[in-house]
Amino acid sequence: MADAILFYALATLTVIAAGLVVTVKNIFHAALHLALALFAVAALYVTLGAYFLAAIQVLVYIGAVVVLAIFVINLTRTVTGAAVTLTRRWIVPAALVSALTACLIVVALLKMTLAGPAPMHPPGDTAASLGRQLLGAYVLPFELVSVLLLSALIAAIAVIGKDREDEK
Amino acid sequence: MTITLTHYLVLAAILFSLGIYGAITRKNAIGILMALELVFNAVNLTFVAAGRWQPRPDGVGQLFSLFVIAAAAAESVLGLAIILAIYRRRVVVNADEMDLMKN
Repeated sequence: MADAILFYALATLTVIAAGLVVTVKNIFHAALHLALALFAVAALYVTLGAYFLAAIQVLVYIGAVVVLAIFVINLTRTVTGAAVTLTRRWIVPAALVSALTACLIVVALLKMTLAGPAPMHPPGDTAASLGRQLLGAYVLPFELVSVLLLSALIAAIAVIGKDREDEK
Repeated sequence: MTITLTHYLVLAAILFSLGIYGAITRKNAIGILMALELVFNAVNLTFVAAGRWQPRPDGVGQLFSLFVIAAAAAESVLGLAIILAIYRRRVVVNADEMDLMKN
């Protein structure tokens, strides 16, 4: 019962915060709502027993991605004055598309027979087993991801740095 | 009542479609990127929940989520770098004004 209350509270928080991210006019507020939504998803990971992933979610998403987005918002602030307002377009078609997507997924879900009630025990020490799998069976994707991150880093520096050379 | 896998998957579907809505309606490129982060989170939630309800939960769902988070971080870094580069050159952040390759 406590599980259900916790899940519904976190789910409501997630959906409200995500709805505000995509509807609110001020982009700075949208970024803060995004941080709230991501934090609620991290809390949902905790309810699923994925403690390590919840910590990574907070560190990488809220600590890096949202902060980076806020940096870029502040750097591009001059476009429409002090408060960058967000104009919207195609509201009705977009609402239609997203509602149909949600309906499609939910109908498909309800037609499937999925697994029964939750297993009683959380799946052990998740960080240790994740580390063992990352350096064991999944070592090749792990190395590929590190190459991806390195190339993204170099590419970001190249994209940003090129302009500076042109200005000289 | 107990919370089942379907609950989490329906929540992920709602989160996914909210992200789609945002990605279509937003004009600001940063807003589009933030809506895409919601989509990534919906997918991650699906992975973690499905991994939890496996017959023998072995953490592979969480592993997939870790890879998705790394890819999403690379994506947002590059996206924001490109937005900043275009802004420096043309003082534009709206996606429909980035039409240098049109015509």
